[in-house]
Amino acid sequence: MENTSSDIRQLNEKIHQASAFVDLLSMELGKVIVGQRYMVERLLIGLLAQGHVLLEGVPGLAKTLSIKSLSSAINAKFSRIQFTPDLLPADVIGTMIYNQQKNEFVVRRGPIFANFILADEINRAPAKVQSALLEAMQERQITIGDTTFKLDEPFLVLATQNPIEQEGTYTLPEAQVDRFMLKVVIGYPTKEEEKLIIRQNLNPEAMTPIRPIIQPGDIMEARKLVREVYMDEKIEKYILDIVFATRNPEEYKLAKLKPLIAYGGSPRASINLAWAAKAYAFMKRRGYVIPEDVRNICFDVMRHRVGLTYEAEAENVTSENILSEILNAVEVP
Amino acid sequence: MYKQQVIRRIFLCFLPGLLYPFSLLAQHAVEVAAKADTSSIRLGEQIKLQLTATISAAQFKDANFKVVFPVLPDSLDHFEVISRTGLDTASNAGQKVLHQTFTLTSFDSGHWEIPPMRFEVFAGASTAHDSALTLPIGIDVNTVAVDTTKAFKPIKAVQSVPWNIWDYWLYIVIGVVVILLAIGLWWYFRKRPKKEPVIKTPTVTPYELAMHELQSLKEEKLWQQGDIKQYYTRLTDILRTYFEHQFGIAALEQTSEELLRNIKPVTKLNQQRDKLRSLLAIADLAKFAKMQPTADEHEGCMRQAEEILEWTKPKIEPVNETVNEKPSV
Repeated sequence: MENTSSDIRQLNEKIHQASAFVDLLSMELGKVIVGQRYMVERLLIGLLAQGHVLLEGVPGLAKTLSIKSLSSAINAKFSRIQFTPDLLPADVIGTMIYNQQKNEFVVRRGPIFANFILADEINRAPAKVQSALLEAMQERQITIGDTTFKLDEPFLVLATQNPIEQEGTYTLPEAQVDRFMLKVVIGYPTKEEEKLIIRQNLNPEAMTPIRPIIQPGDIMEARKLVREVYMDEKIEKYILDIVFATRNPEEYKLAKLKPLIAYGGSPRASINLAWAAKAYAFMKRRGYVIPEDVRNICFDVMRHRVGLTYEAEAENVTSENILSEILNAVEVP
Repeated sequence: MYKQQVIRRIFLCFLPGLLYPFSLLAQHAVEVAAKADTSSIRLGEQIKLQLTATISAAQFKDANFKVVFPVLPDSLDHFEVISRTGLDTASNAGQKVLHQTFTLTSFDSGHWEIPPMRFEVFAGASTAHDSALTLPIGIDVNTVAVDTTKAFKPIKAVQSVPWNIWDYWLYIVIGVVVILLAIGLWWYFRKRPKKEPVIKTPTVTPYELAMHELQSLKEEKLWQQGDIKQYYTRLTDILRTYFEHQFGIAALEQTSEELLRNIKPVTKLNQQRDKLRSLLAIADLAKFAKMQPTADEHEGCMRQAEEILEWTKPKIEPVNETVNEKPSV
């Protein structure tokens, strides 16, 4: 059924009220996390749009603290998995253990049975472990022995990759990376932020513990509202234009990009761009999506979905450069 | 005595039959021969071996008559067959001469014989045939005489051929033709009367175009007909196109927020920032949130657009512009 003008106005008001927790959540997280507002915002987008986040950044940028704090603020279960070369799928999803007293096999659930998972340095584990996690991310269920277990909702995986040490790592294949809704690249904090971080760490007693602001159920309600956020046909066309420009740049007067792009965004890119734009609009307390929302999350949704050719790598052209060119060439509705 | 006479008569009766096969070759009288062009070669030198079969013309006309030349393998004892020609026929004083030439060589020193060559001769309707053999040919294959009393000399270096201008005549001719052609073209283009640059007077300035478009939009009465989304899409597109042509801001590819940020360096336009912000905000709501602004808001937005254009229009209109300097609008 098509939305009418009054429907959208009502929806806008409803979302305006319902999304108030986003500001509270940000404030609460701001108590312990200095800077990194961008990362926290992206985590919330992933949470609201039912996506997962791949985070790339050097160690020590408060990745663990962020997701742990978010988990505490939502009163959800958090679990961290450190990926290593000798990790086995059973170490992630769980296994069957023989109980001698009862003379039977019992299921021991792995650390993936939580709401928030930090898959630290995901590229250190071999492909079979990566795919066990990625399957769970996609299906949102785990099968151990003959029993299938639904994972608790909300379920958010924050996987990290270290961009510096590539030796002895198992790079995630394109098909697997595509399953992450967002790939967020984070950098160092500013001088001012780092000064605050030092002070905070030198005086940990002064740090206020995170209080639960909302419950996991509230997130599920918010997700329903995110789904209802109105997306006009013009915005849909804008999303499609961006994704298609990564596949056929010559059709958007960007023929010079053709030799630099090995492959463009998949249909999953269009879907995720639409979802993330809706979630971003929700966080901005709007009941409808505007082009700014799409542009704002475009880099994080698309950067890992645009494959570069050897020519591009030789010329130090990044996917961000290509996306910038595309955004500057595609007409905004 | 009588018995002996009877036996002699019987023998005489069968004698022609017994001698018939042997008479075939004599009747057809095929002469075969193998001839080498030399009887002495040095290692690796070549010998031309010609095999010839001479047949009388009358026999040659016989449809059943056939001479089959020997088939030589690629190597004979001590000899290598390098090449062979096809079978050739020549007429000579009422005779037909068939011949084939082989080129042989040898890399074994000594005295060797080219073995006899077997020709097969077929005649008559029967399958009976006879063979004719050539004589063997003796060939001396000699090594190079080395004077061991003298010292060995090193291998000679590559010798350069003396330069000769005629080796390069084709390149020289091509070069001269190209130079003449280039001079001719240069002369032609230099002397050609130059075209007067086409002066194109811009038909309309960005301001005039935008005002004209706004007027058309008013006349189309889109919002009065309920097509509000289209009305605001057109209105903002007119303004964005005007900014692009008048101030060089890529407004069509920018969102409302980006546009408001990017007009800051253009002082005159920045002075109309608040009007533009309010217009874009209403337009965004109408375009993306199905909002239905009031009639006053529709007219207010149109008025604001006109005021922005009036405020930012260039004071001195350019009179003439060449095509190459600035795109006409």
